[in-house]
Amino acid sequence: MDFKLTEEQELIRQNMREFAEKYVDPIASEIDENSRHPVEVFQKLAEGDWMGIPIPAEYGGAGADYLTHALVVEELSRSCSSTGFTLSIHVGIACMLVLMFGDEDQKKKYLVPMATGEKLGAFVLTEPGAGTDVMAATTTAVLDGDEYVINGTKTFTSNGPTGDTYFVFAWTDKEAGRKGMSAFIVPKETPGMQAGTHFQKMGLRSSQTSEMLFKDCRVPKENLLGQEGRGLVMAMTGFDHGRIGISAQSVGIIQAALDESIKWSKERVQFGKPISRQQAIAWMIADMATDLDAARFLTYRAAWLKDQGVNFSKEAAMAKLFAAEAAMKHTIKAVQIHGGYGYVKGAKVERLMRDAKITEIYEGTSEAQRMVISGTVLR
Amino acid sequence: MPNIVVCFKWVIDEAYIRRGSSGELDFSSVSYKISDYDRNAIEEAVRLRNESGGRVAAVTVGSPEATKGLKDALSRGPDQAYFINDASFENIEPSQTSAILADVIGSKIEYDLIICGEGSSDLYTQQVGPRLAERLGIPCISFVLKLTIDGNHIIAERKVEDGVEVTAAPMPVLVTVLPDINTPRIPGVKDTLMASKKEVVNIAKDDLAQTYEPTLQTTAMTAASMERRCVKFGAEPGDIAGFVEALEKEGVLR
Ligand SMILES: Cc1cc2nc3c(=O)[nH]c(=O)nc-3n(C[C@H](O)[C@H](O)[C@H](O)COP(=O)(O)OP(=O)(O)OC[C@H]3O[C@@H](n4cnc5c(N)ncnc54)[C@H](O)[C@@H]3O)c2cc1C
Repeated sequence: MDFKLTEEQELIRQNMREFAEKYVDPIASEIDENSRHPVEVFQKLAEGDWMGIPIPAEYGGAGADYLTHALVVEELSRSCSSTGFTLSIHVGIACMLVLMFGDEDQKKKYLVPMATGEKLGAFVLTEPGAGTDVMAATTTAVLDGDEYVINGTKTFTSNGPTGDTYFVFAWTDKEAGRKGMSAFIVPKETPGMQAGTHFQKMGLRSSQTSEMLFKDCRVPKENLLGQEGRGLVMAMTGFDHGRIGISAQSVGIIQAALDESIKWSKERVQFGKPISRQQAIAWMIADMATDLDAARFLTYRAAWLKDQGVNFSKEAAMAKLFAAEAAMKHTIKAVQIHGGYGYVKGAKVERLMRDAKITEIYEGTSEAQRMVISGTVLR
Repeated sequence: MPNIVVCFKWVIDEAYIRRGSSGELDFSSVSYKISDYDRNAIEEAVRLRNESGGRVAAVTVGSPEATKGLKDALSRGPDQAYFINDASFENIEPSQTSAILADVIGSKIEYDLIICGEGSSDLYTQQVGPRLAERLGIPCISFVLKLTIDGNHIIAERKVEDGVEVTAAPMPVLVTVLPDINTPRIPGVKDTLMASKKEVVNIAKDDLAQTYEPTLQTTAMTAASMERRCVKFGAEPGDIAGFVEALEKEGVLR
């Protein structure tokens, strides 16, 4: 058993910390307020090979392991969890889907520009009537000559208004049930695909979320990802990978909540001494630090298992469940520790608390994670 | 095309040093980093190489555990590194460091330009650069803000008390740089991953021409502390007398 990161992993993590302090901290509050996608940060991320870390160098990535990607999402999220998430879904789901299921041509055409950070990916699965219940989807793709024709309405697509390469899930054979869904690569500006205006959200505000409308949207046959009927398996595999990123995002949020709480509680004096010397406050911080380690180790284990090439679905679900709930719980505590000052706009803990909530909802709600976990342990 | 040598030190990151309960320095949870100004030195060496060609060798003296420091340095652009390491090199003083560097650089490395940081983040004695130049018998230019290579000469802008002094010196030459000279890069992921593929020349204590003994002795090290008495003084003569009296009473003045 070895809890040590490699020297490369430590250095990459430190470099991302420096990157985030330099380029992200100064704008985090503004992009939250204005719900703005920070293009300039993503250009810098692309320059430093941060946008395709676990993708092999031959496909434009850095060729590192998945754990390194998780460390980077964590450090980025510690400064701004919206930015961390945008990176996470781009790499963890969009890039990984083509890497795992795409053919050589698709990898060259779509993976390379995504892994180098030139293009941003989006994962288009959820529909107004089909959230947790993916099978309730109604979007269809019908083969017409050499083209598939996609029709339907998707919603809650992250990077919807800002993406370049969309991974769209649609029924090719509804009758076939779990074996009837397929996945398609749809480039931006394909006629018939349109992103709605982005939703104004409670948190995660710089990440752009919108509806995606498909009206007789035609894509060539070559844009089918993998084989027909494998869509659901691909979506679930995508989730397994993406969830490690959401766990890492949550760990970054808890770390930031802890950093802020330690700093504030040592400075804030009431009743003649810093509030950190009140046991009520000290114990909140003890619990926060403990859950942070637990969340972090669950996350790293899931990433490590992925890197070992073994199944990690249950472990990724456990990491995501625990880390997300811990992020919510402890950002509430962090605001409590800050008192009124934590409730005011501009306080970092206020943003952290709003940002934390989404981690319990997307890429499978906490209830959905419990379904995955119990489904495995009760098997 | 100049051969550039850049010296760097792997130091404790001061942000992690804590104050122990009885005033001692607590190093139990420290992390290490490349000394701040040495990052500028590396950046400048790499910038000049990219402009004028040549090669950059990064050199460090330290404990054998400092391998992460080597990768960090190499990820910032140098072509190769010289790692002069021994367990006893962990806490050596500037006279020793400069002597060891001169021993190795003088006998094993071709150089036209040597770049050092003005001082290290831990001791900041500002001695290693000038002592090294002295031992190698080459000119030394300190407090450098800007560097240009002009044929066989180096032109340096130095920060002096009331302005900037422009100096030229024939190569080989040593310069010590200030942080104002450039903004060190943040290495990209591939830079870090490629670092361990670059050549590292390991040099042990036995490979040196001689041993270099310390001349200083550390007797104690304690954390600086600040206590407030919350006494206010005005600017009237009476207040000033009271201020002096208070300092004497506290034992600050004797
Ligand atoms: C900001 C944001 C970004 C998103 N990004 C993307 C994206 O990029 N791509 C994408 O495809 N989707 C995305 N989503 C969608 C997200 O994954 C879904 O919101 C999520 O899966 C939940 O679906 P729902 O909102 O329809 O909730 P519902 O499925 O309606 O769930 C409502 C509640 O019922 C519970 N519930 C549902 N079924 C069960 C059950 N069987 N047992 C117990 N409890 C149950 C849920 O846990 C939840 O508490 C995003 C959502 C948001 C808010």
